[in-house]
Amino acid sequence: MAIDKYIMGLFKSEDQAVAAVHGLKESKWTLHRIHSPIPSHKLSEALKLKTSKVGWFTLCGGIFGFFAGFALAILTAERWDLIVSGKPVRALVPFVIVGFEFTVLFAILGNLVGFLTQTRLPRMQNLEHYDERCSGEHFGVLASCQEDQQEGLHSLFVENGGIVRVFD
Amino acid sequence: MADEGKKSSYWIVWVAMVVIGFGTFIYLAASGRPDQAWKAYLINFLIWSAIAQGGMLFSTLMHTVKAKWSGSLSGLSEAFTGFFPVSLILFLFLFLGGAHVFPWSHGHDLHGKEVWLNIPFLFTRDLIALFILYGLGFGYLYYSLQLKKVDTTNGKGIIRTLFRILQGGRQLEPEVIRKRMDLLAILYMLAFALVLSLIGYDLVMALDPHWISTLFGAYTFVKAIYVGLGGLIIFAAVMHLNPKNDFTLPSSQFHDIGKLFFAFCLVWADFFYVQLVVIWYGNIPEETAYVIERVMMVPWKYLAWFVFAVSFVIPFFILLNKKVKTMPAFMMVLAACMIAGIWLEHLLLVGPSLSHSVHTLPLGINDILISLGFLGLMLLALNSFLRQFPELARTEKREVS
Repeated sequence: MAIDKYIMGLFKSEDQAVAAVHGLKESKWTLHRIHSPIPSHKLSEALKLKTSKVGWFTLCGGIFGFFAGFALAILTAERWDLIVSGKPVRALVPFVIVGFEFTVLFAILGNLVGFLTQTRLPRMQNLEHYDERCSGEHFGVLASCQEDQQEGLHSLFVENGGIVRVFD
Repeated sequence: MADEGKKSSYWIVWVAMVVIGFGTFIYLAASGRPDQAWKAYLINFLIWSAIAQGGMLFSTLMHTVKAKWSGSLSGLSEAFTGFFPVSLILFLFLFLGGAHVFPWSHGHDLHGKEVWLNIPFLFTRDLIALFILYGLGFGYLYYSLQLKKVDTTNGKGIIRTLFRILQGGRQLEPEVIRKRMDLLAILYMLAFALVLSLIGYDLVMALDPHWISTLFGAYTFVKAIYVGLGGLIIFAAVMHLNPKNDFTLPSSQFHDIGKLFFAFCLVWADFFYVQLVVIWYGNIPEETAYVIERVMMVPWKYLAWFVFAVSFVIPFFILLNKKVKTMPAFMMVLAACMIAGIWLEHLLLVGPSLSHSVHTLPLGINDILISLGFLGLMLLALNSFLRQFPELARTEKREVS
């Protein structure tokens, strides 16, 4: 049985990378990973990525924070019978400020948790089959094929304007 | 709406709306209810002028921050200048109803505020202020049209002819035009904040001459941006949805203006709240009386909650969703509901000062008919403007690619 070869196409432009992705989707080769120096809507569309779930983490964090803020303000005021300016101890009008601030705080924390869990960070090991040019200005498209088909995959990347790197 | 210089087939309907509105106003004034007629007139003058002023602000704002996404929306935003002359004339007419819209002008002890609160001075300063604001708006438009390479050497219309005379066949370098636009855009925004604050203090806050909220001016111009964006969304959606127009926007632009609209929904609520919390803590009778009457007394308290729900709570929760912001028809309905909410908010602000000791809301079919008349005026102004400058209602090619 033929061994899988990992081949990376390195592209200087977003459109070239998108064209290579489309070419790979129509081929029998397996697309493994994309590296992009910028957030790219075109690549997201080409890859048909599912909608990110990070927003839900943010929303849940915000809702939790809203009630937590009110709860903190109410419990603290009631615990110490804080009377400010002759107002009731449980004064909802000013507690909106605490509720609002906590909404923002916990929405951000929720967003951070969502980001870390959804992107599976932190990653303790280095990536396999990685080219350092992907940390610069290049778009990297990593795909694999059987050893006897590497010429076809190689030419797909070259036809789309890429530089090719074959991993051992 | 802008059929290449042709009159829209709807213009008869719009003229009919204006006639109905004007007729209702005359009927009310002649049948012994001038207070009701002038109250509706004041509210409508404030809200429709704010839509035009805030709508135009969008273009100046986008130009100043060098935004690239706004494109064709800026052209539509500039069409709101068509309502500026109408607004100025409507303000002059307000002078006739001075005794009805300014309760302090008769039988009130103003405790030294007479220097500021007297009808001749009020009208003079507000007229000058509006004149400056609208002048800057037209100045910006003049250069913006030149930058868009709108050929004013032919075509009809008062504004187009005026610009042709001003231009006199001269062609300025794009860089010079941009610099002048930068200056005029910043001056317009500055004037917007100052003039709208003045209008807020003079035509709304001063109706109860003993009540003071220093933030009321800022609240007024933030509200004008909010309704201006609402008006622009409705305008863009109508233009986009009508296949007869050469105007389409990608959903990403509706999404972007939807986000801006959402942001100002929050800013408006914030300015409302920061006034409330200071008055609530301060607990000074001359400040709290105004709020208590509006949020705790019948019949106004129900209106207060309704306004808060329609103008903030409902748009806030709906606009959290990304998809709805990309749906022009839905956004049009939402923005229309919000503007109706702000109309009622104006009623809440001026109503108790003008209609004392009422047990039911002083709101009826006559108010709706008068508002219809103002809507007709706005539609005629926008249509007339786009007939003169159909170039502004075309999609820039790079946006649809």
